[in-house]
Amino acid sequence: MSREDLLLIIGGEQGAGLETTAQILTYALTSKGYGSIADREYHSNIKGKHSYVHSKISTKTYPRSLTYPIQLLGCMDAETLFTHHEDVEDGGFVVYDVSIEDTNIDDIPSISHELKSAYKENDIGNEIIDLVHYLDEEKDIVPIPLDFQGLLEELQENFELSSSQASRYVSSILIGSVSGLIGLDKESLDKAVERKFKEKEVIAEQNKFFIEMISSKIKDEHGSPLKLKDSKMNKEKRLLVSGNDAVGMGKITGGISFQSYYPITPAADESFFLEEHGEEKNIVVIQTEDEIAAINSAIGSSLTGARSATATSGPGYSLMVEGIGWACMNEVPVVVTYYQRGGPSTGMPTRGGQSDLFSALYGSHGQMPKIVLCSGDHEEAFYDAVEAFNLAEEYQIPVIHMLDKFLANSVVNMKSPDLSQVEIRRGDIGGSKDYKRFADGPISKRAFLGQEVMWYTGSEHDEDGNVSENPGNRVKMQDKRMKKLELAYENIPDDKKFKYFGPENPEFILVGWGSVKGVCLDTIEGMDCAYLHIWMFSPFPTESVKDILSKCEKCIAVEHTHSPLIKRSVAMNTGIIIDNEIVKYTGRPIYLMEVKRAIKDILDGDNRKVIEHGP
Amino acid sequence: MAHDYESDIWVDWCKGCGNFGIVTSMYKAFKELELSKENTVVVSGIGCSGKTPHFIDTSGVHTLHGRAIPYATGIKISNPELDVVVNGGDGDLLGIGAGHFVALGRRNINITILLHNNRVYGLTKGQAAPTLEKDVKTKALFKPNIQDRVEPLKLALTCGFTYVARGSSLDPNQLKELIVEGIQHQGTAFIDIFQPCVTYNDIHTWKYIQDNVEQLDESYDPEVKDDKENIDQVYEMLNDEDKIYTGVFLKNEKKSTFKERIQKILPGYEDTPPAKREIDQMIDQKEFEELFEEYFINRL
Repeated sequence: MSREDLLLIIGGEQGAGLETTAQILTYALTSKGYGSIADREYHSNIKGKHSYVHSKISTKTYPRSLTYPIQLLGCMDAETLFTHHEDVEDGGFVVYDVSIEDTNIDDIPSISHELKSAYKENDIGNEIIDLVHYLDEEKDIVPIPLDFQGLLEELQENFELSSSQASRYVSSILIGSVSGLIGLDKESLDKAVERKFKEKEVIAEQNKFFIEMISSKIKDEHGSPLKLKDSKMNKEKRLLVSGNDAVGMGKITGGISFQSYYPITPAADESFFLEEHGEEKNIVVIQTEDEIAAINSAIGSSLTGARSATATSGPGYSLMVEGIGWACMNEVPVVVTYYQRGGPSTGMPTRGGQSDLFSALYGSHGQMPKIVLCSGDHEEAFYDAVEAFNLAEEYQIPVIHMLDKFLANSVVNMKSPDLSQVEIRRGDIGGSKDYKRFADGPISKRAFLGQEVMWYTGSEHDEDGNVSENPGNRVKMQDKRMKKLELAYENIPDDKKFKYFGPENPEFILVGWGSVKGVCLDTIEGMDCAYLHIWMFSPFPTESVKDILSKCEKCIAVEHTHSPLIKRSVAMNTGIIIDNEIVKYTGRPIYLMEVKRAIKDILDGDNRKVIEHGP
Repeated sequence: MAHDYESDIWVDWCKGCGNFGIVTSMYKAFKELELSKENTVVVSGIGCSGKTPHFIDTSGVHTLHGRAIPYATGIKISNPELDVVVNGGDGDLLGIGAGHFVALGRRNINITILLHNNRVYGLTKGQAAPTLEKDVKTKALFKPNIQDRVEPLKLALTCGFTYVARGSSLDPNQLKELIVEGIQHQGTAFIDIFQPCVTYNDIHTWKYIQDNVEQLDESYDPEVKDDKENIDQVYEMLNDEDKIYTGVFLKNEKKSTFKERIQKILPGYEDTPPAKREIDQMIDQKEFEELFEEYFINRL
């Protein structure tokens, strides 16, 4: 009997070829038309610490969320098995290197004390072989020990490689064994390998040979017990992208011509993307000396008429806020792409979170208008990246485009954007005789440096842009700036500010924003439940949200924070108190089974559920 | 208006302030160069020097404390046709903004930096600037300064600035010459301008400047030949404790400008710098698919 979907984890040391493994498998699976989502979990470390890729493959949908248990665990090392064995479904499969069988958990320095003591409480035995016996006998999990060394020697002999050369093919052992178990054909694997090693023909040939050798061996010994059905999806054009890629594509489509950045996880990959793909469009990407220079040079660029942006995460944004204030004061369209990670302070640089919403909304002194829009998935991230520039120029204000690590680093097969849906709107542009930059508000005609003589200043200023502390002028100018937010509230349609999914009068409503969208949509499927997805927090869709939430007796906030900011935001804007919350702040994704369980407890009377699954 | 480039804003610097000499030299230099008012951008930070752009009838960008250089960087990279002049105080450029000063030296962007060096923070009532000597107690300080001073020219040389000069507000004609040459220089020009703060600095007064400043010997040639900067010789002059020399210390036209460096990695930059990009021209479906071809899934 073949399967409709599959959950798997491939784990190993950071830097040991895990990404190559995941990439080739994903290339192959998506070329077969399967839906795929892959989340990469890793430490702030270059080599040595445990990292893993958690994927869901589906034959009939494009998966939006991950869940546990998994059916297949591929281990590049002993730590992977010690870390993830509890997440393997009864009857599932575990692939590992036979040489780790005598590895003792106490001898692995990178495993935390917490994990070690938790493991020992189960009295399984300290060596991998003890664990393998336990899984086999108690949980019916099929161990698939492979002689990595022997296999590599076989490869070595075949191609006359040195042993150090051959050792680079460990990832192919996992690719081969996983594809054997799920019954992936040679053609798709060959194409995937060729795609990965484009100009390295010899390496590609050797990988293809090795993967096929292992895949056949697995098929011979075990058959393909996890065989996937053929894809039921139509052949529409799809892209395989991370959230960083999707934003990069959106920025290029939206006409960016200047991006400044300072290296930071999980934002820097977007700037790399722009550097790699922006040459044809003459996109200047500058690595600045710090985030302060990044935002302020982007603002300077915008004054010349360029579409400019910067990308950062929490610590970088904290340094940028003074510049954001200047941009608001001087009505400068600039886009900041803000990838949240676990805070406060350095927090957890490679883990996700949603705790920076208020940092984006209020993180600068003084009252000022800005637009804050938050993407919920890869497709939204693409369109929002274009729209951010349009809104920034139309209202002549900074736009903070919020994403998070989960979105930035997860890879999905995204529907190819429909560019007929995309437009470029530059707002009111042009100079005049006796030009005054801040005349005729709320939205003044914008000329660029080089076109007219004009002044800018962070001080309160008059229509010319010269310093003025005259009380009447102060009221006029502060009103002018704040009025732009009212205009944005009136003019931006509701369907760009929030989305409502599900039945009209549901038993309860989940309320969320950003990357919880996927898991919330999967949760409400088949339930008498809706999901309210807030897309824009400034301007906030006050009346509509009030209308929706006041009609429902039970509302549940879902968020990656300790204390949900969406609850506070809804209360501040609408006066409605959301009584229930499901929160996660371990920095790991919110999994479907956790939300379902938490909702059950909330329907049974709990108000707050803290969920923590995932190593 | 006395000068072509003077704006109609009332200048609110203290009577006798050294800034008057600086802005006057700017008016004269701009006039001599016949700069276009639209294409000239004066960028400043915060403090008394920060007000400069408002007093000049060209475009002006009065930014944040310490951040004039990043703004100027974004402006100049995006529109290389603009002449960009930065005015900043010693606290602004060498205290809070020191990181940007160092980074600018590494880039050699074609902009001109005018350092208003009066050794104090005037607008906040005379605290010690990074240029103030250790153990000196100006009248606004409660205790003598316990921090060492940084020598702006030495820092500029170390960071790689390619035009390094010093003038003083006492000699607006010499200063005008330096500004003219600085703006014409292809690369970053740095001009340290020694000026008094008549209200808060009772040590480095007009008289002090007069007694201590001396023009570099005419025989000194600042031009860098054969790619090799003779920084040692300049250091020696800067280490002279008896004299504060003015003039051009170093001029290096051998080093590539930032424009040339961007051009090298982005061949279309010269014709289409960021400000000149046609944004209204949408990428169409076909171009999108070509640009991101490698991300498309080849369904088998």
